[in-house]
Amino acid sequence: MLLEARNVTIRFGGLVAVNHADVSVQPGRITGLIGPNGAGKTTFFNCISGVYKIDEGEVVFAGRRIDGLRGFQINEAGISRTYQVINLFRKMNVLDNVMVGMHSRLRQSFWASLFHSPGQRSEERTALAKARDMLKFVGLERKAGYPAGNLSYGEQRLLEIVRGLASDPQLILLDEPAAGMNSGEKAQLDVLLKRILGTGVTILMIEHDMKLMMGVADYIYVLNYGSILAHGEPAEIQRNPDVITAYLGGD
Amino acid sequence: MTRKKTLLMAALAAAALIVIYLFLVNHAPIKLRRLALTGVMLGCIYGLIALGYSLIYKASGLMSFVQGDIMTIGAFLGLTFFTFFRGLFGTGEEGESNVGTFILSVLLTTAFAFLFGILLEKGTIRKLLNKNVMAIYVVLATIAISYIIQNGAQIIWGGIPLPVPSVFTVLFVQVIGVRIQPEMVLCVILSAGCMIMLHFFMTRTRMGTSLRAAAMDAKAAEACGIDVSLSTGLTWGMAAGLAAIAGILVGPIYGVYTMLGANIGRKGFSAAVIGGYGNMYGAMLGGIILGLAETFVAGYASSTLKNLIAYILLIAFLFIKPTGIFNERAIQDV
Repeated sequence: MLLEARNVTIRFGGLVAVNHADVSVQPGRITGLIGPNGAGKTTFFNCISGVYKIDEGEVVFAGRRIDGLRGFQINEAGISRTYQVINLFRKMNVLDNVMVGMHSRLRQSFWASLFHSPGQRSEERTALAKARDMLKFVGLERKAGYPAGNLSYGEQRLLEIVRGLASDPQLILLDEPAAGMNSGEKAQLDVLLKRILGTGVTILMIEHDMKLMMGVADYIYVLNYGSILAHGEPAEIQRNPDVITAYLGGD
Repeated sequence: MTRKKTLLMAALAAAALIVIYLFLVNHAPIKLRRLALTGVMLGCIYGLIALGYSLIYKASGLMSFVQGDIMTIGAFLGLTFFTFFRGLFGTGEEGESNVGTFILSVLLTTAFAFLFGILLEKGTIRKLLNKNVMAIYVVLATIAISYIIQNGAQIIWGGIPLPVPSVFTVLFVQVIGVRIQPEMVLCVILSAGCMIMLHFFMTRTRMGTSLRAAAMDAKAAEACGIDVSLSTGLTWGMAAGLAAIAGILVGPIYGVYTMLGANIGRKGFSAAVIGGYGNMYGAMLGGIILGLAETFVAGYASSTLKNLIAYILLIAFLFIKPTGIFNERAIQDV
Protein backbone atom coordinates (compact mmCIF):
# COMPACT_ATOMS: atom_id res chain seq x y z
CA MET A 1 0.00 0.00 0.00
CA LEU A 2 1.22 3.49 -0.82
CA LEU A 3 -1.10 5.22 1.62
CA GLU A 4 -2.81 3.65 4.60
CA ALA A 5 -5.20 5.72 6.67
CA ARG A 6 -6.20 3.67 9.69
CA ASN A 7 -8.96 4.56 12.07
CA VAL A 8 -8.73 8.23 11.13
CA THR A 9 -11.00 10.35 13.32
CA ILE A 10 -11.42 14.09 13.61
CA ARG A 11 -13.92 16.00 15.70
CA PHE A 12 -14.95 19.63 15.58
CA GLY A 13 -16.51 20.33 18.95
CA GLY A 14 -19.22 17.69 19.29
CA LEU A 15 -19.34 16.88 15.59
CA VAL A 16 -17.42 13.83 14.40
CA ALA A 17 -16.50 14.90 10.89
CA VAL A 18 -14.49 11.78 10.03
CA ASN A 19 -15.26 8.71 12.09
CA HIS A 20 -12.76 5.83 12.30
CA ALA A 21 -12.16 5.80 8.57
CA ASP A 22 -9.86 3.20 7.01
CA VAL A 23 -8.70 3.96 3.49
CA SER A 24 -5.92 2.23 1.58
CA VAL A 25 -4.47 3.46 -1.67
CA GLN A 26 -2.62 1.03 -3.92
CA PRO A 27 0.24 2.42 -5.97
CA GLY A 28 -0.31 2.89 -9.69
CA ARG A 29 -4.08 3.04 -9.46
CA ILE A 30 -6.84 5.59 -9.25
CA THR A 31 -8.71 5.36 -5.98
CA GLY A 32 -11.96 7.27 -5.70
CA LEU A 33 -13.67 8.77 -2.69
CA ILE A 34 -17.38 9.50 -3.10
CA GLY A 35 -20.26 10.36 -0.84
CA PRO A 36 -23.15 12.80 -0.43
CA ASN A 37 -22.47 16.49 0.29
CA GLY A 38 -21.14 17.02 3.78
CA ALA A 39 -20.02 13.40 4.14
CA GLY A 40 -16.54 14.51 5.17
CA LYS A 41 -14.62 13.84 1.96
CA THR A 42 -12.71 17.12 1.85
CA THR A 43 -12.19 16.93 5.61
CA PHE A 44 -10.61 13.53 5.06
CA PHE A 45 -8.26 15.06 2.45
CA ASN A 46 -7.40 17.80 4.91
CA CYS A 47 -6.53 15.16 7.50
CA ILE A 48 -4.09 13.49 5.14
CA SER A 49 -2.52 16.65 3.71
CA GLY A 50 -1.78 18.17 7.11
CA VAL A 51 -4.36 20.96 7.10
CA TYR A 52 -6.00 19.38 10.17
CA LYS A 53 -4.42 17.34 12.94
CA ILE A 54 -6.33 14.08 13.43
CA ASP A 55 -7.67 13.21 16.87
CA GLU A 56 -7.32 9.46 16.50
CA GLY A 57 -5.80 6.96 14.13
CA GLU A 58 -2.73 7.09 11.95
CA VAL A 59 -1.74 7.87 8.40
CA VAL A 60 1.14 5.89 6.91
CA PHE A 61 2.59 6.96 3.59
CA ALA A 62 5.21 4.83 1.85
CA GLY A 63 5.97 3.09 5.14
CA ARG A 64 6.28 6.28 7.16
CA ARG A 65 3.91 7.88 9.67
CA ILE A 66 2.88 11.27 8.34
CA ASP A 67 0.02 12.25 10.64
CA GLY A 68 1.08 15.18 12.78
CA LEU A 69 3.40 16.55 10.10
CA ARG A 70 2.69 20.03 8.80
CA GLY A 71 1.32 20.66 5.32
CA PHE A 72 4.60 21.62 3.69
CA GLN A 73 6.34 18.59 5.22
CA ILE A 74 3.70 16.29 3.78
CA ASN A 75 4.30 17.84 0.39
CA GLU A 76 8.02 17.20 0.84
CA ALA A 77 7.21 13.60 1.79
CA GLY A 78 5.63 13.12 -1.64
CA ILE A 79 1.93 13.97 -1.46
CA SER A 80 0.51 16.96 -3.29
CA ARG A 81 -3.05 18.08 -3.65
CA THR A 82 -5.56 20.32 -5.35
CA TYR A 83 -8.46 22.11 -3.73
CA GLN A 84 -12.18 22.00 -4.31
CA VAL A 85 -12.20 25.79 -4.41
CA ILE A 86 -9.35 26.65 -6.74
CA ASN A 87 -6.33 28.00 -4.88
CA LEU A 88 -3.97 29.43 -7.46
CA PHE A 89 -1.54 32.29 -7.05
CA ARG A 90 -3.85 34.40 -9.15
CA LYS A 91 -1.60 37.39 -9.69
CA MET A 92 1.42 35.30 -10.66
CA ASN A 93 1.67 34.07 -14.20
CA VAL A 94 0.96 30.48 -15.18
CA LEU A 95 4.63 29.51 -15.44
CA ASP A 96 5.47 30.98 -12.03
CA ASN A 97 2.63 28.99 -10.49
CA VAL A 98 4.27 25.81 -11.73
CA MET A 99 7.68 27.05 -10.53
CA VAL A 100 6.31 27.59 -7.03
CA GLY A 101 4.96 24.03 -7.23
CA MET A 102 8.55 22.86 -7.72
CA HIS A 103 9.60 24.68 -4.59
CA SER A 104 10.28 21.66 -2.42
CA ARG A 105 12.31 19.93 -5.13
CA LEU A 106 14.67 22.79 -5.78
CA ARG A 107 17.29 23.08 -3.15
CA GLN A 108 19.66 25.93 -3.45
CA SER A 109 20.74 28.45 -0.95
CA PHE A 110 19.33 31.88 -0.49
CA TRP A 111 22.64 33.57 -1.32
CA ALA A 112 23.13 31.55 -4.49
CA SER A 113 19.70 32.62 -5.67
CA LEU A 114 20.28 36.24 -4.77
CA PHE A 115 23.56 36.46 -6.67
CA HIS A 116 22.57 34.15 -9.52
CA SER A 117 25.49 31.78 -9.15
CA PRO A 118 26.32 29.56 -12.15
CA GLY A 119 24.96 26.48 -10.35
CA GLN A 120 21.75 28.27 -9.66
CA ARG A 121 21.44 29.48 -13.23
CA SER A 122 21.70 25.99 -14.64
CA GLU A 123 19.20 24.72 -12.08
CA GLU A 124 16.92 27.60 -12.99
CA ARG A 125 17.17 26.70 -16.69
CA THR A 126 16.41 23.04 -16.01
CA ALA A 127 13.48 24.02 -13.81
CA LEU A 128 12.10 26.41 -16.43
CA ALA A 129 12.37 23.77 -19.15
CA LYS A 130 10.65 21.27 -16.91
CA ALA A 131 7.88 23.74 -16.04
CA ARG A 132 7.24 24.37 -19.74
CA ASP A 133 7.14 20.63 -20.40
CA MET A 134 4.62 20.19 -17.63
CA LEU A 135 2.42 22.94 -19.08
CA LYS A 136 2.63 21.15 -22.42
CA PHE A 137 1.43 18.02 -20.62
CA VAL A 138 -1.97 19.65 -20.09
CA GLY A 139 -1.91 21.90 -23.13
CA LEU A 140 -1.37 25.20 -21.30
CA GLU A 141 2.06 26.02 -22.79
CA ARG A 142 0.69 28.91 -24.83
CA LYS A 143 -0.74 30.54 -21.70
CA ALA A 144 2.58 30.46 -19.80
CA GLY A 145 2.78 34.26 -19.52
CA TYR A 146 -0.85 34.90 -18.55
CA PRO A 147 -1.80 35.79 -14.98
CA ALA A 148 -3.28 32.59 -13.53
CA GLY A 149 -6.44 34.46 -12.54
CA ASN A 150 -7.21 35.22 -16.20
CA LEU A 151 -7.50 31.56 -17.24
CA SER A 152 -10.88 29.93 -17.78
CA TYR A 153 -12.24 27.86 -14.92
CA GLY A 154 -11.34 24.57 -16.57
CA GLU A 155 -7.84 25.81 -17.37
CA GLN A 156 -7.37 26.88 -13.75
CA ARG A 157 -8.26 23.35 -12.66
CA LEU A 158 -5.66 21.97 -15.06
CA LEU A 159 -3.06 24.44 -13.84
CA GLU A 160 -3.70 23.46 -10.25
CA ILE A 161 -3.15 19.82 -11.18
CA VAL A 162 0.10 20.66 -12.96
CA ARG A 163 1.28 22.70 -10.00
CA GLY A 164 0.57 19.68 -7.82
CA LEU A 165 2.53 17.44 -10.17
CA ALA A 166 5.45 19.87 -10.27
CA SER A 167 6.78 18.64 -6.93
CA ASP A 168 7.19 15.10 -8.39
CA PRO A 169 4.77 13.54 -5.90
CA GLN A 170 4.18 9.83 -5.52
CA LEU A 171 0.55 10.52 -4.72
CA ILE A 172 -1.71 13.38 -5.75
CA LEU A 173 -5.01 14.12 -4.01
CA LEU A 174 -7.52 15.64 -6.44
CA ASP A 175 -10.54 17.31 -4.85
CA GLU A 176 -13.28 17.44 -7.50
CA PRO A 177 -11.06 18.04 -10.52
CA ALA A 178 -14.04 18.08 -12.91
CA ALA A 179 -16.06 20.69 -10.99
CA GLY A 180 -16.76 23.66 -13.23
CA MET A 181 -15.36 22.00 -16.33
CA ASN A 182 -17.43 21.93 -19.53
CA SER A 183 -18.25 18.59 -21.14
CA GLY A 184 -15.35 18.82 -23.59
CA GLU A 185 -12.87 19.47 -20.81
CA LYS A 186 -14.35 16.64 -18.76
CA ALA A 187 -13.86 14.20 -21.62
CA GLN A 188 -10.20 15.22 -21.80
CA LEU A 189 -9.79 14.94 -18.02
CA ASP A 190 -10.53 11.25 -18.30
CA VAL A 191 -7.54 10.83 -20.61
CA LEU A 192 -5.37 13.17 -18.55
CA LEU A 193 -5.90 11.15 -15.37
CA LYS A 194 -4.72 8.02 -17.18
CA ARG A 195 -1.69 9.89 -18.47
CA ILE A 196 -0.85 11.11 -14.97
CA LEU A 197 -1.03 7.51 -13.81
CA GLY A 198 1.28 6.64 -16.70
CA THR A 199 3.97 8.97 -15.31
CA GLY A 200 4.04 6.89 -12.12
CA VAL A 201 1.87 9.15 -9.96
CA THR A 202 -0.87 7.47 -7.94
CA ILE A 203 -4.21 9.27 -7.67
CA LEU A 204 -6.70 9.57 -4.83
CA MET A 205 -9.65 11.60 -5.97
CA ILE A 206 -12.94 13.05 -4.81
CA GLU A 207 -15.47 13.52 -7.61
CA HIS A 208 -19.18 14.11 -7.86
CA ASP A 209 -19.39 13.27 -11.55
CA MET A 210 -20.33 9.59 -11.28
CA LYS A 211 -19.88 8.88 -14.97
CA LEU A 212 -16.30 10.10 -14.79
CA MET A 213 -15.61 8.38 -11.49
CA MET A 214 -17.02 5.00 -12.48
CA GLY A 215 -15.12 5.21 -15.75
CA VAL A 216 -11.63 5.93 -14.40
CA ALA A 217 -11.46 4.66 -10.80
CA ASP A 218 -9.97 1.26 -10.06
CA TYR A 219 -11.32 1.18 -6.52
CA ILE A 220 -13.86 3.33 -4.69
CA TYR A 221 -14.54 4.24 -1.09
CA VAL A 222 -17.94 5.62 -0.09
CA LEU A 223 -18.07 8.03 2.82
CA ASN A 224 -21.36 8.82 4.57
CA TYR A 225 -21.73 10.91 7.75
CA GLY A 226 -17.97 10.66 8.24
CA SER A 227 -17.83 6.85 8.16
CA ILE A 228 -16.81 4.49 5.41
CA LEU A 229 -20.08 3.03 4.19
CA ALA A 230 -18.70 0.72 1.54
CA HIS A 231 -15.65 0.10 -0.59
CA GLY A 232 -15.00 -1.97 -3.65
CA GLU A 233 -14.60 -1.90 -7.40
CA PRO A 234 -16.88 0.51 -9.29
CA ALA A 235 -19.24 -2.24 -10.45
CA GLU A 236 -19.73 -3.51 -6.88
CA ILE A 237 -20.29 0.00 -5.57
CA GLN A 238 -22.95 0.71 -8.19
CA ARG A 239 -24.85 -2.41 -7.09
CA ASN A 240 -24.44 -1.84 -3.35
CA PRO A 241 -27.91 -1.20 -1.80
CA ASP A 242 -26.47 0.84 1.11
CA VAL A 243 -24.77 3.18 -1.32
CA ILE A 244 -27.90 3.55 -3.42
CA THR A 245 -29.90 4.36 -0.29
CA ALA A 246 -27.36 6.91 0.90
CA TYR A 247 -27.40 8.66 -2.45
CA LEU A 248 -31.11 8.56 -3.11
CA GLY A 249 -32.04 9.26 0.51
CA GLY A 250 -34.66 6.50 0.73
CA ASP A 251 -35.09 4.21 3.67
CA MET B 1 2.88 42.97 -14.93
CA THR B 2 4.67 42.06 -18.11
CA ARG B 3 8.33 42.85 -18.66
CA LYS B 4 7.53 45.27 -21.47
CA LYS B 5 5.11 47.23 -19.33
CA THR B 6 7.60 47.38 -16.45
CA LEU B 7 10.33 48.67 -18.74
CA LEU B 8 7.98 51.23 -20.22
CA MET B 9 7.02 52.45 -16.77
CA ALA B 10 10.65 52.61 -15.69
CA ALA B 11 11.47 54.62 -18.81
CA LEU B 12 8.60 57.02 -18.19
CA ALA B 13 9.65 57.47 -14.58
CA ALA B 14 13.24 58.14 -15.64
CA ALA B 15 12.08 60.67 -18.24
CA ALA B 16 9.88 62.41 -15.66
CA LEU B 17 12.81 62.57 -13.24
CA ILE B 18 15.07 64.12 -15.88
CA VAL B 19 12.44 66.74 -16.75
CA ILE B 20 11.96 67.56 -13.05
CA TYR B 21 15.72 67.73 -12.57
CA LEU B 22 16.21 70.09 -15.52
CA PHE B 23 13.32 72.26 -14.37
CA LEU B 24 14.70 72.47 -10.84
CA VAL B 25 18.24 73.27 -11.99
CA ASN B 26 17.31 75.84 -14.62
CA HIS B 27 14.14 77.53 -13.46
CA ALA B 28 13.25 76.79 -9.88
CA PRO B 29 14.11 79.21 -7.10
CA ILE B 30 16.59 77.99 -4.53
CA LYS B 31 13.88 77.55 -1.92
CA LEU B 32 11.89 75.18 -4.11
CA ARG B 33 15.01 73.15 -4.84
CA ARG B 34 15.83 72.88 -1.18
CA LEU B 35 12.29 71.83 -0.31
CA ALA B 36 12.26 69.25 -3.11
CA LEU B 37 15.46 67.68 -1.82
CA THR B 38 14.28 67.58 1.79
CA GLY B 39 10.93 66.20 0.65
CA VAL B 40 12.51 63.36 -1.27
CA MET B 41 14.78 62.52 1.66
CA LEU B 42 11.90 62.51 4.14
CA GLY B 43 9.78 60.63 1.61
CA CYS B 44 12.35 57.83 1.43
CA ILE B 45 12.03 57.39 5.20
CA TYR B 46 8.23 57.29 5.02
CA GLY B 47 8.57 54.90 2.12
CA LEU B 48 10.75 52.45 4.08
CA ILE B 49 8.24 52.44 6.94
CA ALA B 50 5.27 52.05 4.60
CA LEU B 51 7.08 49.25 2.79
CA GLY B 52 7.13 47.37 6.08
CA TYR B 53 3.40 47.99 6.56
CA SER B 54 2.73 46.60 3.10
CA LEU B 55 4.84 43.48 3.67
CA ILE B 56 3.12 42.77 6.99
CA TYR B 57 -0.33 43.38 5.56
CA LYS B 58 0.29 41.05 2.64
CA ALA B 59 1.79 38.30 4.77
CA SER B 60 -0.58 38.40 7.75
CA GLY B 61 -3.50 40.62 6.78
CA LEU B 62 -2.68 42.76 9.81
CA MET B 63 -1.34 46.19 10.64
CA SER B 64 1.46 46.61 13.12
CA PHE B 65 1.91 49.74 15.20
CA VAL B 66 5.31 48.53 16.33
CA GLN B 67 6.93 49.46 13.02
CA GLY B 68 7.62 53.06 14.09
CA ASP B 69 9.11 51.98 17.40
CA ILE B 70 11.40 49.51 15.69
CA MET B 71 12.59 52.57 13.81
CA THR B 72 13.33 54.26 17.15
CA ILE B 73 15.16 51.19 18.39
CA GLY B 74 17.07 51.14 15.11
CA ALA B 75 18.09 54.75 15.58
CA PHE B 76 19.30 54.21 19.16
CA LEU B 77 20.96 50.90 18.40
CA GLY B 78 22.59 52.41 15.32
CA LEU B 79 23.88 55.32 17.37
CA THR B 80 25.23 52.93 20.02
CA PHE B 81 27.03 50.78 17.44
CA PHE B 82 28.28 53.85 15.59
CA THR B 83 29.72 55.41 18.75
CA PHE B 84 31.26 52.09 19.79
CA PHE B 85 32.93 51.41 16.43
CA ARG B 86 34.12 55.00 16.12
CA GLY B 87 35.87 54.56 19.44
CA LEU B 88 37.25 51.22 18.33
CA PHE B 89 38.49 52.05 14.80
CA GLY B 90 38.65 55.84 14.69
CA THR B 91 41.11 58.33 16.10
CA GLY B 92 38.29 60.38 17.52
CA GLU B 93 39.59 63.50 15.78
CA GLU B 94 37.21 66.13 14.49
CA GLY B 95 36.33 65.81 10.81
CA GLU B 96 37.42 62.24 10.14
CA SER B 97 35.43 60.06 7.75
CA ASN B 98 33.25 57.45 9.39
CA VAL B 99 31.55 56.01 6.33
CA GLY B 100 32.90 52.49 6.91
CA THR B 101 31.89 52.35 10.55
CA PHE B 102 28.50 53.82 9.69
CA ILE B 103 27.78 51.16 7.07
CA LEU B 104 28.91 48.49 9.54
CA SER B 105 26.52 49.93 12.12
CA VAL B 106 23.69 49.93 9.56
CA LEU B 107 24.28 46.26 8.77
CA LEU B 108 24.45 45.20 12.42
CA THR B 109 21.39 47.21 13.38
CA THR B 110 19.44 45.75 10.49
CA ALA B 111 20.41 42.23 11.51
CA PHE B 112 19.27 42.86 15.09
CA ALA B 113 15.99 44.39 13.93
CA PHE B 114 15.44 41.47 11.57
CA LEU B 115 15.69 39.06 14.49
CA PHE B 116 13.46 41.31 16.56
CA GLY B 117 10.82 41.26 13.82
CA ILE B 118 10.89 37.47 13.64
CA LEU B 119 10.64 37.21 17.42
CA LEU B 120 7.76 39.68 17.44
CA GLU B 121 5.83 37.55 14.96
CA LYS B 122 6.74 34.17 16.42
CA GLY B 123 6.57 35.21 20.06
CA THR B 124 3.41 37.30 20.14
CA ILE B 125 1.50 37.66 16.88
CA ARG B 126 1.60 33.97 15.92
CA LYS B 127 0.90 32.90 19.51
CA LEU B 128 -2.19 35.11 19.63
CA LEU B 129 -3.39 33.98 16.22
CA ASN B 130 -2.97 30.34 17.27
CA LYS B 131 -5.34 31.04 20.13
CA ASN B 132 -7.83 32.11 17.42
CA VAL B 133 -7.80 35.67 18.72
CA MET B 134 -9.56 38.09 16.37
CA ALA B 135 -7.40 40.32 14.19
CA ILE B 136 -8.53 43.48 15.98
CA TYR B 137 -7.04 42.19 19.26
CA VAL B 138 -3.76 41.39 17.56
CA VAL B 139 -3.65 44.97 16.26
CA LEU B 140 -4.39 46.20 19.81
CA ALA B 141 -1.54 44.03 21.05
CA THR B 142 0.81 45.77 18.62
CA ILE B 143 -0.34 49.14 19.97
CA ALA B 144 0.44 47.94 23.49
CA ILE B 145 3.87 46.68 22.45
CA SER B 146 4.48 49.99 20.72
CA TYR B 147 3.87 51.94 23.95
CA ILE B 148 5.94 49.49 25.97
CA ILE B 149 8.87 50.07 23.63
CA GLN B 150 8.40 53.86 23.65
CA ASN B 151 8.39 54.03 27.43
CA GLY B 152 11.14 51.45 27.71
CA ALA B 153 13.31 53.52 25.42
CA GLN B 154 12.53 56.56 27.55
CA ILE B 155 13.80 54.72 30.63
CA ILE B 156 16.96 53.44 28.93
CA TRP B 157 18.00 56.44 26.87
CA GLY B 158 16.19 59.33 28.56
CA GLY B 159 14.04 62.01 27.03
CA ILE B 160 16.66 64.29 25.56
CA PRO B 161 17.44 64.03 21.83
CA LEU B 162 20.92 62.66 21.29
CA PRO B 163 23.10 64.06 18.51
CA VAL B 164 24.72 61.63 16.08
CA PRO B 165 28.34 62.32 15.08
CA SER B 166 28.69 63.22 11.42
CA VAL B 167 29.47 60.44 9.03
CA PHE B 168 31.43 62.39 6.43
CA THR B 169 34.40 64.74 6.58
CA VAL B 170 32.60 67.48 4.70
CA LEU B 171 29.71 69.31 6.33
CA PHE B 172 27.91 70.19 3.10
CA VAL B 173 27.60 68.98 -0.45
CA GLN B 174 26.13 70.84 -3.43
CA VAL B 175 23.16 69.14 -5.07
CA ILE B 176 21.32 71.07 -7.83
CA GLY B 177 22.86 74.20 -6.43
CA VAL B 178 21.67 73.65 -2.86
CA ARG B 179 23.99 72.99 0.03
CA ILE B 180 22.72 69.99 1.99
CA GLN B 181 24.09 67.60 4.58
CA PRO B 182 25.88 64.70 2.89
CA GLU B 183 23.98 62.36 5.24
CA MET B 184 20.81 63.31 3.36
CA VAL B 185 22.32 62.05 0.13
CA LEU B 186 23.41 58.85 1.87
CA CYS B 187 19.87 58.43 3.20
CA VAL B 188 18.34 58.66 -0.26
CA ILE B 189 20.95 56.39 -1.85
CA LEU B 190 20.66 53.67 0.80
CA SER B 191 16.85 53.82 0.82
CA ALA B 192 16.73 53.52 -2.94
CA GLY B 193 19.21 50.65 -2.69
CA CYS B 194 16.96 48.86 -0.19
CA MET B 195 13.95 49.20 -2.44
CA ILE B 196 15.75 47.97 -5.51
CA MET B 197 17.19 45.02 -3.59
CA LEU B 198 13.77 44.20 -2.17
CA HIS B 199 12.26 44.34 -5.65
CA PHE B 200 14.81 41.90 -7.06
CA PHE B 201 14.62 39.69 -4.00
CA MET B 202 10.85 39.43 -4.19
CA THR B 203 10.55 38.92 -7.93
CA ARG B 204 13.75 37.18 -9.01
CA THR B 205 14.74 34.83 -6.20
CA ARG B 206 13.06 31.60 -5.34
CA MET B 207 12.80 32.63 -1.70
CA GLY B 208 11.14 35.93 -2.62
CA THR B 209 8.73 34.09 -4.88
CA SER B 210 7.82 31.68 -2.10
CA LEU B 211 7.28 34.63 0.29
CA ARG B 212 4.93 36.17 -2.27
CA ALA B 213 3.20 32.84 -2.78
CA ALA B 214 2.72 32.38 0.97
CA ALA B 215 1.29 35.90 1.21
CA MET B 216 -1.05 35.41 -1.75
CA ASP B 217 -2.55 32.09 -0.70
CA ALA B 218 -1.35 30.40 2.46
CA LYS B 219 -3.23 27.14 1.90
CA ALA B 220 -1.95 26.68 -1.62
CA ALA B 221 1.59 27.64 -0.64
CA GLU B 222 1.63 25.11 2.18
CA ALA B 223 0.48 22.43 -0.27
CA CYS B 224 3.37 23.44 -2.54
CA GLY B 225 5.89 22.65 0.18
CA ILE B 226 6.36 26.20 1.47
CA ASP B 227 6.70 26.66 5.23
CA VAL B 228 4.16 29.46 5.51
CA SER B 229 4.79 30.06 9.20
CA LEU B 230 8.49 30.57 8.53
CA SER B 231 7.72 32.79 5.53
CA THR B 232 5.47 35.01 7.62
CA GLY B 233 8.15 35.31 10.31
CA LEU B 234 10.77 36.25 7.72
CA THR B 235 8.46 38.88 6.25
CA TRP B 236 7.97 40.52 9.65
CA GLY B 237 11.74 40.36 10.04
CA MET B 238 12.23 42.17 6.76
CA ALA B 239 9.68 44.82 7.70
CA ALA B 240 11.53 45.38 10.98
CA GLY B 241 14.86 45.53 9.15
CA LEU B 242 13.54 48.25 6.84
CA ALA B 243 12.22 50.27 9.78
CA ALA B 244 15.56 50.05 11.57
CA ILE B 245 17.38 51.21 8.44
CA ALA B 246 15.02 54.19 8.30
CA GLY B 247 15.88 54.93 11.93
CA ILE B 248 19.63 54.77 11.60
CA LEU B 249 19.58 56.83 8.38
CA VAL B 250 17.49 59.58 9.88
CA GLY B 251 19.58 59.75 13.05
CA PRO B 252 22.40 61.96 11.74
CA ILE B 253 19.84 64.34 10.21
CA TYR B 254 17.24 64.81 12.99
CA GLY B 255 19.05 63.46 16.03
CA VAL B 256 17.82 60.46 17.99
CA TYR B 257 14.93 60.64 20.49
CA THR B 258 12.30 58.25 21.83
CA MET B 259 9.34 59.67 19.90
CA LEU B 260 11.24 59.75 16.59
CA GLY B 261 9.74 56.55 15.23
CA ALA B 262 6.28 56.98 16.69
CA ASN B 263 5.73 60.25 14.79
CA ILE B 264 7.16 59.04 11.52
CA GLY B 265 5.60 55.59 11.91
CA ARG B 266 2.09 57.00 12.22
CA LYS B 267 2.55 59.09 9.11
CA GLY B 268 3.84 56.00 7.33
CA PHE B 269 0.27 54.68 7.35
CA SER B 270 -0.68 57.63 5.20
CA ALA B 271 2.12 56.84 2.74
CA ALA B 272 0.90 53.24 2.50
CA VAL B 273 -2.68 54.34 1.81
CA ILE B 274 -1.62 56.90 -0.80
CA GLY B 275 0.31 54.27 -2.73
CA GLY B 276 -2.21 51.47 -2.18
CA TYR B 277 -2.04 49.62 1.12
CA GLY B 278 -0.18 46.37 0.57
CA ASN B 279 1.63 47.42 -2.60
CA MET B 280 5.44 47.52 -2.36
CA TYR B 281 5.92 50.07 -5.11
CA GLY B 282 2.96 52.11 -3.94
CA ALA B 283 4.50 52.36 -0.49
CA MET B 284 7.63 53.98 -1.87
CA LEU B 285 5.80 56.33 -4.20
CA GLY B 286 3.30 57.19 -1.47
CA GLY B 287 6.19 57.92 0.88
CA ILE B 288 7.82 60.34 -1.53
CA ILE B 289 4.52 62.08 -2.32
CA LEU B 290 3.90 62.49 1.40
CA GLY B 291 7.44 63.74 2.02
CA LEU B 292 7.15 66.34 -0.72
CA ALA B 293 3.65 67.39 0.36
CA GLU B 294 4.85 67.90 3.93
CA THR B 295 7.91 69.94 3.11
CA PHE B 296 6.08 72.08 0.57
CA VAL B 297 3.28 72.80 3.01
CA ALA B 298 5.86 73.67 5.66
CA GLY B 299 7.80 75.83 3.24
CA TYR B 300 4.99 77.69 1.49
CA ALA B 301 2.07 77.59 3.91
CA SER B 302 2.92 77.10 7.54
CA SER B 303 5.02 74.66 9.50
CA THR B 304 2.16 74.13 11.97
CA LEU B 305 0.11 72.62 9.15
CA LYS B 306 2.96 70.29 8.27
CA ASN B 307 1.98 67.55 10.70
CA LEU B 308 -1.65 67.62 9.59
CA ILE B 309 -1.12 67.07 5.90
CA ALA B 310 -0.33 63.34 6.25
CA TYR B 311 -3.64 62.66 7.94
CA ILE B 312 -5.62 64.93 5.63
CA LEU B 313 -4.15 63.06 2.67
CA LEU B 314 -4.98 59.73 4.32
CA ILE B 315 -8.65 60.62 4.74
CA ALA B 316 -8.81 62.23 1.30
CA PHE B 317 -7.44 59.10 -0.36
CA LEU B 318 -9.82 56.86 1.56
CA PHE B 319 -12.73 58.84 0.15
CA ILE B 320 -11.52 59.62 -3.33
CA LYS B 321 -9.21 56.75 -4.23
CA PRO B 322 -9.17 54.07 -1.53
CA THR B 323 -7.22 51.72 -3.78
CA GLY B 324 -4.31 54.16 -3.82
CA ILE B 325 -2.14 54.99 -6.80
CA PHE B 326 -1.30 51.35 -7.50
CA ASN B 327 -4.92 50.16 -7.30
CA GLU B 328 -4.59 47.74 -4.41
CA ARG B 329 -7.82 46.02 -3.47
CA ALA B 330 -9.44 48.22 -0.84
CA ILE B 331 -13.15 47.53 -0.96
CA GLN B 332 -14.40 44.40 0.79
CA ASP B 333 -16.28 41.89 -1.27
CA VAL B 334 -19.91 41.86 -0.24
